[in-house]
Amino acid sequence: MSPSILLILLLILAYVGFYAGKKRAVGCVEGKVKFLHSLPGFYGFYVSLWSVIPALLITLIWLIVEPVWMTQAVTAQLPEEMINLPPERLNLVLNDIRNVVNGSTLATQSDSVILDAASHYESLQSLSHWLMAIVTIGLSMACMWISCQRIHQHYRARNAVEKAVTGGMVICSTIAIFTTLGIVSSVAYESFLFFQSVPVFDFLFGLDWSPQTAMRSDQVGSSGAFGAIPLFTGTLLVSLIAMLVAVPIGLMSAIYLSEFAGPTFRATAKPTLEILAGIPTVVYGFFAALTVAPFIRETGEAMGLSVSSESALAAGLVMGVMIIPFVSSLSDDVINAVPQSLRDGAYALGATQAETIKQIIFPAALPGIVGSILLAVSRAIGETMILVMAAGLSANLTFNPFEAVTTVTVQIVTLLVGDQEFDSPKTLAAFALGLVLFVVTLMLNVFALYIVRKYREQYE
Amino acid sequence: MSYIRESVPSHSMKRQTLSNVLGMKKIDRESRETVGAITSSDTRISCRNVNVFYGEKQAINDLSLDIGNNEVISFIGPSGCGKSTFLRTLNRMNDTIPSCKVEGEIKIDDKDIYHRDMDVVPLRAQVGMVFQKPNPFPKSIYDNVAYGPRIHGLAVNKTELDEIVQNSLIKAGLWEEVKDRLDEPGTGLSGGQQQRLCIARTIAVNPEVILMDEPCSALDPIATAKIEQLIAELKERFTIVIVTHSMQQAARVSQRTAYFHMGHLIEVGDTNQIFTNPVHPLTEDYITGRFG
Repeated sequence: MSPSILLILLLILAYVGFYAGKKRAVGCVEGKVKFLHSLPGFYGFYVSLWSVIPALLITLIWLIVEPVWMTQAVTAQLPEEMINLPPERLNLVLNDIRNVVNGSTLATQSDSVILDAASHYESLQSLSHWLMAIVTIGLSMACMWISCQRIHQHYRARNAVEKAVTGGMVICSTIAIFTTLGIVSSVAYESFLFFQSVPVFDFLFGLDWSPQTAMRSDQVGSSGAFGAIPLFTGTLLVSLIAMLVAVPIGLMSAIYLSEFAGPTFRATAKPTLEILAGIPTVVYGFFAALTVAPFIRETGEAMGLSVSSESALAAGLVMGVMIIPFVSSLSDDVINAVPQSLRDGAYALGATQAETIKQIIFPAALPGIVGSILLAVSRAIGETMILVMAAGLSANLTFNPFEAVTTVTVQIVTLLVGDQEFDSPKTLAAFALGLVLFVVTLMLNVFALYIVRKYREQYE
Repeated sequence: MSYIRESVPSHSMKRQTLSNVLGMKKIDRESRETVGAITSSDTRISCRNVNVFYGEKQAINDLSLDIGNNEVISFIGPSGCGKSTFLRTLNRMNDTIPSCKVEGEIKIDDKDIYHRDMDVVPLRAQVGMVFQKPNPFPKSIYDNVAYGPRIHGLAVNKTELDEIVQNSLIKAGLWEEVKDRLDEPGTGLSGGQQQRLCIARTIAVNPEVILMDEPCSALDPIATAKIEQLIAELKERFTIVIVTHSMQQAARVSQRTAYFHMGHLIEVGDTNQIFTNPVHPLTEDYITGRFG
């Protein structure tokens, strides 16, 4: 019996359990529901939770343990010379067997040993699944019966159900935390491997980035240089250009929208501005590469400047446009959150609208505005697609916006695209860069939240 | 006089006048014509036939009233009767509400404040306002008081500004409590102190009229008593218009009282007379607690 059918059976059992629990609870008090401790539905939920959760846990554990156990059993049945193969070759053989079982390889193409092993595997698997089904359903029914027996007039089913629901919510809320921890630990582990071949200092402060390494021992050149400073400056340069575009425009539009614009204009302009945030970055990318970059190059040439066809300026400008809504929308919300009473107070003293905005509203909204800008910065630093398409790939150590630069994110993409060995410094460098990126954006986010929190209560 | 009910034979005019003096109810309950003296001997603000609209809805109907120099006049009436709306027309604070439209004539010192050429900035410096909920700026106590003088350029140097701030705080009765912590945020003060800070902020720009929109409704009785005492001192220098929900407060602080009902000014007169001997039946209902 396949696990999916088992799951459906469990759900049916849960449904049955619900009515069994409810019926028993109502039966306990001969239909006088008001004498029950909890509403009848809670007794139903109580029984159905008991009939599903332990059974599901057992299924989960079974499905985790099963492949390990089966691999061992199948390996033990293989001929002597195959068992003695080196581990990675043995893995290949086992893969072949699994492929035959799943039907992804034609059985006729494989040799008889593999076919024998495959049929052995298949029979073991079906046995295991039948066993699992019997155990699970048996457990489910047993739990249902026991929990039904525990129901009596004063049984606190509501408290038990509430406890279970609370537990479920705790699990949901910690999933994000555990995912973050998982990502951090995997990136940190790979970075650790990288730093065993390249010293941390050379990586963080080296001025030369050329990550090509020899794949075979007979290749010449390409010894690899992993100094990340050109990438950091590239990232910094592009983010700076983007912020120079996004902060003034975003802030001004936020102030206009919240303080000057009429309700009709605001109702149209704000969603339109937010559409900018919804455009896929890939679209921004080819807009930057095919429209903005040539325009900048031609304008620059007309003025006698030498501009490369992929430039930090083109990528930065387009990225700036992309993050305008982050600044404007958040700042607009923050400015709107400044109480009307403060505006009234200033107007009643004879302040003009400009004075009120500059001296009262802006300072009161400043923490939120700073927060929105920092969030936009971390977005800019993490942005990839526009830069891949429009900023170039050459790791120039320059602050000239007309030259092509490359950034941390772009290098991560280029290091990991294509056929790669996953144990060379070249690919591992991507993880180290990712770690740096993660740490920087994390610090920016924490700092932004700190600022927002610290000053938030000032006008409340 | 057309609204006076003909309950006595028309030939005995003397008796009718007498009954009016004795406060016998001669006025039709449905009458919306203002009872009492709307004029003042030493007029500072003069309002004639004022109508205020919020979009289609009329909030003030044909209101005429004079407010005298250095007098404390209180506006009372049930919620939504238009007293706050009328108060806010006196320094054009209603301009901040886009749907609000004001008709009629409001003159302060014989200048029409709704005239095209009128600049609201000096007007609001001349007619200050204190709000229902204390609204100190999220700045230091000093900067709160210094804000008005700064934007109007009332002080040439730091010493003068210090002096204005100190005097305003003294007049607002807050100096002794805050003199050692002028650079702490104004929002950290207690509710009553915040309201006195707002009053200090208002008098720092040296206005002629102070409008107070239920200044004590968010305060406890002790803080309320302090504000009322302050109003008694301030009336020496300023004309004060106060909107209040507390009739006791109106009776304690004001010389004249105006009763509003559903956008109409029903009755205005000497505070003593309004509270002891109201003429209009609606006023009497409100004063005696039968309505509102």
